[in-house]
Amino acid sequence: MKRRRSYRSKVRILVDMMRAIQQEGDDGAGPTKILYAANLSHDRLTQYLEELIEKGLVCAVEEGGSSRVFLLTDRGREFLREFTKVEKFSEAFGIEI
Amino acid sequence: MQTLSMIRLDLLLETIGGTVALLISHFAHGALKLTGESRLSDLSTGFLVLSAAMFGRVIGTIYFFVLRGGGTEGSETAQTLMAVVTIAYGVMKIMAYVLFAFSTRPAASSTRPQPTVLLALPALLDSRLEIVAVIILIVVVLQSILNYLAVRTKYALYVLVGFSLLLLGHLTLILSNNPARGYMMHQVFQFGGLLSLLVMLVRVGQVD
Repeated sequence: MKRRRSYRSKVRILVDMMRAIQQEGDDGAGPTKILYAANLSHDRLTQYLEELIEKGLVCAVEEGGSSRVFLLTDRGREFLREFTKVEKFSEAFGIEI
Repeated sequence: MQTLSMIRLDLLLETIGGTVALLISHFAHGALKLTGESRLSDLSTGFLVLSAAMFGRVIGTIYFFVLRGGGTEGSETAQTLMAVVTIAYGVMKIMAYVLFAFSTRPAASSTRPQPTVLLALPALLDSRLEIVAVIILIVVVLQSILNYLAVRTKYALYVLVGFSLLLLGHLTLILSNNPARGYMMHQVFQFGGLLSLLVMLVRVGQVD
């Protein structure tokens, strides 16, 4: 029995992006990897990345030329840990976030 | 003497149960602040109301014994107080169950009843509070079964066990031939149900 997922909430999109970054570990993730992993348009990706940087959850590192990679900050890692707990708790009651 | 120790145990279970409900409400409120998901608000309020009902009953019962110690006049006031506490306890529990039914409903549901109508239900049917509680809890348990079948996680199983024990508690109260024994069984099942939810909360807290 599979549950039909409707649209993603904003916090879910941000978490999907952060998880994509986390998967790349210490090397950081480039914009294209995040874009594909979080299934976003380029405009949305830019907008949400700015938001994550502004909130101090992600930081950008210049990697030669004009390319940038993104890394999780300590605050970002802590946020993801808290979100996973909240996700499990909500799921236990059948609440999708 | 046996009745007195039964009441003491009952109040102890109710106090611990109320604390567990308050903890779950607090966690759900934190989750609401993080995600903004409105159904977490229903869940948090539901456990808060349940906790208030349980603590209210504990305080009311203690005050009942204090008043009874004050002579005949005090005894009459005590009887009235206990009647009010008992009805308020039942009504608040049903309100909490209604909120659980809202928060655990399947996401795609389009036939959401008006909350105000359902919240007024216990007041309209106060003579059959237990039956109303059972009917609402059956809905909650069925929704928990559907959720468990959909996600199949141990956390969803704890929630299913928790709500099932709460339902079983109300059923024992209605079906038992011996009211005192039925009441104690109800308390034990209710406590077990909240304990299962507490285990879920602790396990969720250990997720890394």
